[in-house]
Amino acid sequence: MSHKFSRRKFLRNSLLGTGAMTLGFPALKVNAEEHKIRVGVVTSLSGANRFGGNLTRRGYDLWAEEINKLGGIEIEGKRYPVEMFYGDAQSRPASGADAAERLIIQDEVDVLFGPYTSGVTLAVQPISQKYRVPMISGSAESPNVWLAKPAFNFGMIPAVDLTTDKSMVVLAENLGDRAKTASVIGVDEPFSKETAEGFRKGVEESGLDLLSYELFPAGSDLSAIVSKLKSSNPDIVAVGGHEDVFINFVNTAKALNYKPKALIMHYGVTSAAFIKETGSESNGILGVSVWTEGLPYKDELFGTASDYSDLSFSRWGTRPDYTEAACSASGLVLQDAARRLGKAPPWDQGTRAELAKAIEDTDIETFYGPVGFAKEGSHFHNNTKPVPAVVQIKSGDVVPVAPENASKGELVYPIPGST
Amino acid sequence: MDLFLQTLVNGILIGGILICLTIGFQLTFGVLHVIDFAVGGWTMLGGYTAYWLVTLAGIDPFISIFLVFALFLLIGRGLGPLIYHVRTSRYARPDLMALAFTFGIFLFMRGGALWLWSYNSRSVDSVLSGQFLSLGPITIPLMRLSAFLMALLFSLGLFILLYRSRFGMAVRALAQNHDHAGLMGVDVKRVSAWVYGIYTALTASAGVLIATIYSVNPSVGVRYTLFAFFVAVLAGLGSVGGVLVAGLALGLLEAYVATYIGARYSLLIVFGTLYLTLLVAPKGVLGRGI
Amino acid sequence: MASKPVLTPKLIVRTLLIGAIVIALAVLPTFIDSYTLRIATGALMWAGLACAWNIVGGYAGYISFGHSAFFGIGAYTTAILMQSDFGASFFVTLLPAIILSIAVAVAIGGPTMRLRGAYFAIATWAFAEMLMQLVTVLDFTGGTAGLSLPAYLNEFFFYYLMLFAATASFVGVWLLIERSRFGFRIKALRDDEPAAESLGIRTNLVKVQSFALSAAITALFGSIYAYWTTYIDPYSVMGPEITDQMVVMVLLGGLGTVWGPALGGVLLWITNRYIWSTFGDTVIYLPILGVIIALVVLFLPNGLISLFMGRRRGRELISRILGKL
Repeated sequence: MSHKFSRRKFLRNSLLGTGAMTLGFPALKVNAEEHKIRVGVVTSLSGANRFGGNLTRRGYDLWAEEINKLGGIEIEGKRYPVEMFYGDAQSRPASGADAAERLIIQDEVDVLFGPYTSGVTLAVQPISQKYRVPMISGSAESPNVWLAKPAFNFGMIPAVDLTTDKSMVVLAENLGDRAKTASVIGVDEPFSKETAEGFRKGVEESGLDLLSYELFPAGSDLSAIVSKLKSSNPDIVAVGGHEDVFINFVNTAKALNYKPKALIMHYGVTSAAFIKETGSESNGILGVSVWTEGLPYKDELFGTASDYSDLSFSRWGTRPDYTEAACSASGLVLQDAARRLGKAPPWDQGTRAELAKAIEDTDIETFYGPVGFAKEGSHFHNNTKPVPAVVQIKSGDVVPVAPENASKGELVYPIPGST
Repeated sequence: MDLFLQTLVNGILIGGILICLTIGFQLTFGVLHVIDFAVGGWTMLGGYTAYWLVTLAGIDPFISIFLVFALFLLIGRGLGPLIYHVRTSRYARPDLMALAFTFGIFLFMRGGALWLWSYNSRSVDSVLSGQFLSLGPITIPLMRLSAFLMALLFSLGLFILLYRSRFGMAVRALAQNHDHAGLMGVDVKRVSAWVYGIYTALTASAGVLIATIYSVNPSVGVRYTLFAFFVAVLAGLGSVGGVLVAGLALGLLEAYVATYIGARYSLLIVFGTLYLTLLVAPKGVLGRGI
Repeated sequence: MASKPVLTPKLIVRTLLIGAIVIALAVLPTFIDSYTLRIATGALMWAGLACAWNIVGGYAGYISFGHSAFFGIGAYTTAILMQSDFGASFFVTLLPAIILSIAVAVAIGGPTMRLRGAYFAIATWAFAEMLMQLVTVLDFTGGTAGLSLPAYLNEFFFYYLMLFAATASFVGVWLLIERSRFGFRIKALRDDEPAAESLGIRTNLVKVQSFALSAAITALFGSIYAYWTTYIDPYSVMGPEITDQMVVMVLLGGLGTVWGPALGGVLLWITNRYIWSTFGDTVIYLPILGVIIALVVLFLPNGLISLFMGRRRGRELISRILGKL
């Protein structure tokens, strides 16, 4: 019995010890170093959106590494190195808000780089506004983010409702008389649903006949959806979702002997994981991308779009997609705004508000394309300038096929072997 | 009409998947009176084992399913005594403690899989992947058909085991009354551990086919646990025969709702029906244990 | 025998201790920065939620897997009423949130609580999933895109609000369950339902009352949470993770004790945030947490609180519960 007693005591003491350590920890503050620009990144490094979250981190980090090679951001003839701080949003809005507050209060960051998902962005936005810390978001694509008219948040990627409908129109124009009907399906979750709505709008704008529009809960069995599509066999099938839904759609369709004449998806199609998991089935699948390495854009830091792609490949081992590119370009926006602001860091609240004004007036050319933020309307502070390209997977490669100025190859239609 | 028939086939085949998922779970509940939260975890681990076997060694899921069965039979047999210990302990609520214990195991599996293999979905390839059988206007995917046949095989095997073997007699005695079975000379501890092993083996094998039909990632487990629970309570907890009826009923409901009412409402209607059925028939459709 | 409501020295010591803790919590914000205050606010919320779940799960002995439904009802009622169409102020939304949650709890509690054990657990889970799907397909809830609330970013306000709500919950539960006849009824129900009924306890009424009380507290925290985080979506306030956390916190802290849930909630939340901010992007805490839960079940079935209750108290409690079986 005495043995049991000592174990109990030991457990209790270690419990108390851990508690004391835990409570004491936040008191250890990092001292602010002088002459550095402190940048906080809030993104999903764990949780359901960890894959995309890490892509945003790669994009932001690549910019930081490149600018630090030059000695940092140039302000009034002097260079200030960039120091990066990270906060994991765990793919949950509330954790994102915790992370933002920690970065601002404990790490004393001057500026934030935004989250991967729109839900987390919506929860972080008020925190950035409260402490007047400008935030540049290299990923969030939901139009809801901009409806709130966030004074301190700026989005690099045009909202999905702007990109998917344009890409559908571009696709329909390219196909001309060959396509008359279309069906749109999408997962009933943020982003995926808005993607599907954008596709539907595009179908209506381009005069195609919309045969069906259907949303389904995440993780549902797709045999019913595929069977319905098969029985109406539209000329174009558009899918709003993330890569695991695409993988399940492609697998289910194959097993039910159905292959759409054209299959267009949005984010994730261009990712290496999707192409690897679906193998030869990915051949001919269309995707939407606001940036590809073949585009004729360039800037001083990264060079041309294709230079950027090579740099990213040599750094991370995979080709960048448009999210990574937009995140790297976020740094270029900060660089330009800080130069125009012309004040040395650290920045106090008033200066940060001036910085936000400077970001609002951004008008630059980058390897990612032109960047400028809307100052009014439903897409307030969203960079609406990039024009989406339609890409097609051809034997494992992602090839831009439309519109004309971005095209690097013929659009294959219908997909060989289609129903 | 074609779509109607195709939906019938789709529904029956979804039903087959649900039966595979639930049948082992039903056995542990019927015999050990344990609600195993980890049922989705075993399914997921079975799927991952098949994934690694096909990716690293090129072993087709239809062969690796036997390996998975043997492997998880031993793992379950090893874990069985602990489950038995918790379930028969002299705590205030041993049934609840067993649930909490398996919840911990489930969290361990999910977290471990996340930590080791990250969030990406993995496809498991088999010779039958993407193959189908055409019957006039109807298409029958062979992978799903295999899952359905496996569901029938599992049920049949379980019936033979339970009603035509000495071991089965011991299991049934246990299901009726632990103490009496012990008094009649049944080695209660050993039989319980083997029952748990059979359950994990069946569930992990089901996971192999499920991963081949869809794909596998660390967070699929929660959904499978949810569906296993639902099929099981609809069947009447512990009723093996009821699983066949309940699995097919839920599969058909999901398929017809998704096709004719709207896929968006399929889960809403499935969960709603389940909840209402429970209120009307609290012991499930057949209401009989093992 | 439970302790009698007289002033024993033990009771005085305990009251003083609790008073000291409350005063310490009240002056805490002046010593810490606003990020740490945010974590403290979260810890209070989870302690309160664990306390709410414990009423049904720990005292009445009904394991609910559906409490996220009530958290969501609170959060969504507040969020919807605070949209510009209604423009209600925050405190005005609390009453409808609580009334709605009680109404739902009474409506489903009656029929659902006829189910025992596993059937009840799974039925409540089905109900919560159904409600989450409903919120997802409806329009006025914002669907899957969720709802943003007008941001009121005063960290002291939310800290003291959570402190008040959590303290009120614990004191209320302590008075009601450890110091009143209601408490005896509810525990009798847990220990032996037919016997309780034969003693003239109206078990159905007691069950529904405890379920409604638990639901109302959960919804209250849901409302505050929505206003605090300023953005909610179906998964973040109705997902199974909410219920899972509540269950785990109570189990770790000590099922069916007053202070166990507080210990479990605070400890688990602070540990979670600590690992998160120190180790960043690892998920290693998930498997570790899994192992800890399994170990607690095996070796400390009465939760971490039993370590503090002393050997004699703990043994008394165990033998008391076992005596009833």
